[in-house]
Amino acid sequence: MNAIEVKNLTKVFGKFTAVDNINFDVKQGEIFGFLGANGAGKSTTIRMLIGILEPTSGDALVSGYSIKNQSDLVKKNIGYMSQKFSLYNDLTVVENIRFFAGIYGLDGKKYEERKNWVLKVADLENMENVITGSLPGGIKQRLALGTAVIHEPKIVFLDEPTSGVDPISRRNFWDLINELSEGGTTVLVTTHYLDEAEFCNDIILINAGKLIAQGNSKELKTNYIKNPILEIESDRIVDSMEILEKEKWVGETSIFGNYIHVILNDNTINEGHIYDLLRDKNGISVKRVEKITPTLEDVFIHLIEKDSKKNVQ
Amino acid sequence: MFNRIFAIAKKEMRQLKRDTRMLFIVFFFPVVLLAIFGYAINFDVHHIKIAVYDQDRSLISSEYFDLVTYIDNDDQIKKMLDEKIVQAVVVFPKDMSRRLLSKQEVKIQFLVDGVDGTSANVIQNYVNAATYSYSIQLTKEYLAVTGKNLYVPIDLQPRFWFNPDLQSTRFLIPGLMGMILIITAVISISLSIVREKERGTIEQINVSPLSSIEFILGKTIPYIVISLINATIVLLAGYILFDIVIKGNMLLLLLGTFAFLFAALSLGVFISTIADSQQVAFQAANVTSLLPSLILSGFIFPIESMPIAIQVLTNITPAKFYIVILRAILLRGAGISAFWDQLIYLGIFGLVFIALATLVDKKSKNK
Amino acid sequence: MKTIFQFIIKELLQVKRDKKMLVVIFMAPILQLIFLGYAANMDVNVIHTTIYDQDKTSTSRDFIKRFEQSGYFTIDHNVSNYEEVTDLLNEGKTLVAIVIPKDFEKKINRRETAPLQTLFEGSDGNKASIALGYIQGIATKFSQGIVAETKDKLGMKISLSGSLIPEVRVWYNPEMKTRNYMVPGILGLILMISTISLMSMAVVREREIGTLEQLIVTPIKNYQLILGKLIPFTLIGFVVLIIVMIIMTQWFGIVVRGNRLFLLFTALLFVLSNLGIGLFISTVSKTQQQAMMASVFAIMMPMIYLSGFAFPIENMPVVVQYITYLIPLRYFITILRGIVLKGIGFSSLWFETLILFGMGVTLLIFSSLRFSKKIE
Repeated sequence: MNAIEVKNLTKVFGKFTAVDNINFDVKQGEIFGFLGANGAGKSTTIRMLIGILEPTSGDALVSGYSIKNQSDLVKKNIGYMSQKFSLYNDLTVVENIRFFAGIYGLDGKKYEERKNWVLKVADLENMENVITGSLPGGIKQRLALGTAVIHEPKIVFLDEPTSGVDPISRRNFWDLINELSEGGTTVLVTTHYLDEAEFCNDIILINAGKLIAQGNSKELKTNYIKNPILEIESDRIVDSMEILEKEKWVGETSIFGNYIHVILNDNTINEGHIYDLLRDKNGISVKRVEKITPTLEDVFIHLIEKDSKKNVQ
Repeated sequence: MFNRIFAIAKKEMRQLKRDTRMLFIVFFFPVVLLAIFGYAINFDVHHIKIAVYDQDRSLISSEYFDLVTYIDNDDQIKKMLDEKIVQAVVVFPKDMSRRLLSKQEVKIQFLVDGVDGTSANVIQNYVNAATYSYSIQLTKEYLAVTGKNLYVPIDLQPRFWFNPDLQSTRFLIPGLMGMILIITAVISISLSIVREKERGTIEQINVSPLSSIEFILGKTIPYIVISLINATIVLLAGYILFDIVIKGNMLLLLLGTFAFLFAALSLGVFISTIADSQQVAFQAANVTSLLPSLILSGFIFPIESMPIAIQVLTNITPAKFYIVILRAILLRGAGISAFWDQLIYLGIFGLVFIALATLVDKKSKNK
Repeated sequence: MKTIFQFIIKELLQVKRDKKMLVVIFMAPILQLIFLGYAANMDVNVIHTTIYDQDKTSTSRDFIKRFEQSGYFTIDHNVSNYEEVTDLLNEGKTLVAIVIPKDFEKKINRRETAPLQTLFEGSDGNKASIALGYIQGIATKFSQGIVAETKDKLGMKISLSGSLIPEVRVWYNPEMKTRNYMVPGILGLILMISTISLMSMAVVREREIGTLEQLIVTPIKNYQLILGKLIPFTLIGFVVLIIVMIIMTQWFGIVVRGNRLFLLFTALLFVLSNLGIGLFISTVSKTQQQAMMASVFAIMMPMIYLSGFAFPIENMPVVVQYITYLIPLRYFITILRGIVLKGIGFSSLWFETLILFGMGVTLLIFSSLRFSKKIE
């Protein structure tokens, strides 16, 4: 049985379709990445899956229970942590833990055991009487995750858990996610950090409420971009890009820091053509041209642009 | 400097425009409240419910009294008053006619429910007056028979200026206006600043080149505009519903309102600097404006009847000064000579609280 | 049960931790009741008076003296022309101007009637009419004195006819002190304001911070969440209640004539109905700002004006009187004044008690139902 099965899930707010008929499955114990731009419908989908927002149509089975008419059973089997820090800032660490443990009905030995676990993963041993609001962001985030899974749910939903957290804390946070996954917990995580997406077993991408790609990161990179990609390093990036975009054999261009990525329409074009065009014809000094395998970022920009063009038409 | 203040003001206006529920509450409720309360509040004691023993109906014929019931034993008196069925019981003694005919004095007992001391006082005046005038009438009739005139040494000729019918509603409405305006002003500005604190957006403003004063001014301007609109609506409603014509000078009224809003908003700004959460700001706004503008402002309770210490404390609410101005302009059509001192008080009040707010603000930033 | 218990502990811890809030919740009612209790006094005992004595004789001075001695009148101005009188009245500097005519003494000596003009700044109709009452009293007494004097002079012994003498007895509050009437009312107001404003923030605050979303993802039941909010605030409301009761009886020395336990019981019903209202506001509001504006304008202001706290309900138009039936404070103030000042009990107040009970229960049930664990 899959941990989550989503069938034709749709949510309409007035005239606006936030989630448009999406389908996907999440396997038991995997880390499932849920990607998309802001406003693409990620949070709306998650809110339906955790049973706090009624779908307009369609259904989903979470841990085998329907989100439509068994939302109470769903809630017993899941943990949830949102991008907004949602512990009480004015309570101490241990008061927060005790409160949420109490809500999930943990007591006695079990409570002690889980409390110590949360303190350990959040690196807060011997700091349990500190006011939560005064903790640094990264630690808070881990405490929130620890508290969200204090009842050892089978599935945990993380809605942009690392937004606004420094890189080292993000790394620590992902270690914790991996630990949970190894322990058999299914993790569904939304993010817009694409390096984080590489840690996921399976990924889906949504745009404007529609599912536009799915697979693991390798599949995404090979299945969705067939054409070669060239990475170009030059001293006048913007000029170079304008020149390139006039050529018929150039599909898409995008800027990655100091580089330009060009997706070609024509397999016969190679590095030489670029030097020829930029350096010889336009006098731009080109430092480097290299054929690369696409990153997830290339894939997503490509897919979203394609999808947006289609929507406009 | 003006550009920056303007930018803040524009942002604030935009946010307000978007919050339609809030706008609805701010503009709609004051009018509704004024309409309902304006009709509801008055101290005019009419239709005093009374119960009597005797057959004599001389007292009841007055428009001030409504006869509720006749009773026939002492126990019923207690029940009538305990359960607030009547406000007063009139007891005519058994031998009244006999004693009157034999030219003796007759005592008529009035038992008045004194729980509401003010009404009781008025009722007392009414029954005294009614009894005396009936008594004089009896004497006159008697003397007329013998061909003599009644000698009354003093003929009291009361004249009531500005309010010949002695209605209390017209007197109370300026107070109601002041109260509505101060609450809207204090609560809305203090919450809007504290909200930025709570959401952390104030940090962003603190790191910008904007100074405290610019920030506060920028925040205040939209609320001055809103409150002025509000004041206009409330005055219009007063005119349409209660026929309160502005007897005095319109410009003076505007000046007074402006001074009042300045004072009220600076109180709100001060609250926002001491409160860290909307909850605390709300409670503080309640404590400083809701009840004080009702009870300490002279709206209902005359300030000169209060103990001296409390009289000093009444200065905590700018409504006190505004009510004096409103009553002078609206009811008596008085000129600036009647209330220039109030304008100065309002100005001082506003400056003091703005200064306090800036001080507290600086202190908290240095922490 | 345990879940609710944990919730209560959490709420109390949060209150405990917010020092400013603690001060506001417990200190504000005490200070307000004390200050406002002294302020809420409609007794008219300072009447600013202007005298325009055109006669300046011993009779007129004797007459003026009676005003000074009454204790109500403060003679601020002695003027010598009408213009001054007009100015003082226009600027609101004096409440009443008494004009004693030129031939006051002469007329009285000649057994003629002397007209006494009294000009009132009448904008405060209530005050003016009470002042008129006092003046009538003084004038009548003065007249009686003169009549008796002339009778003596003329050697007349018997009265000319039978006369009626009113004898007014004021029950419950013989000195007609407004404080005894107002302090219980203010107690009700303060209790209402503190409980409603606390509760109206309870849910919407968590919504704004984001913790509500976390809570509704947990298997916690609606009723558990509601009770978890309600019980701690009832406790707080009850503590506030005890504090203000103590101040009323000990500080202001207002004796509770009726049953104290019954008073506490009805107060608890009142607190519950307030919490129900607060909870309703809290669940329908999207932001704290909305909750506060709604509670002040839609709830507290009407409660203040229409409860009969200061403005007698009997004086209101009939339509407005019907609206007052919807107001819990109205019933509580009737009960409060009944128990405290009249010493009556359930047998006279059963109707108000039942209504308060019904309102409390209905409001709580209604707002619990209105509160849904789904978000919009």
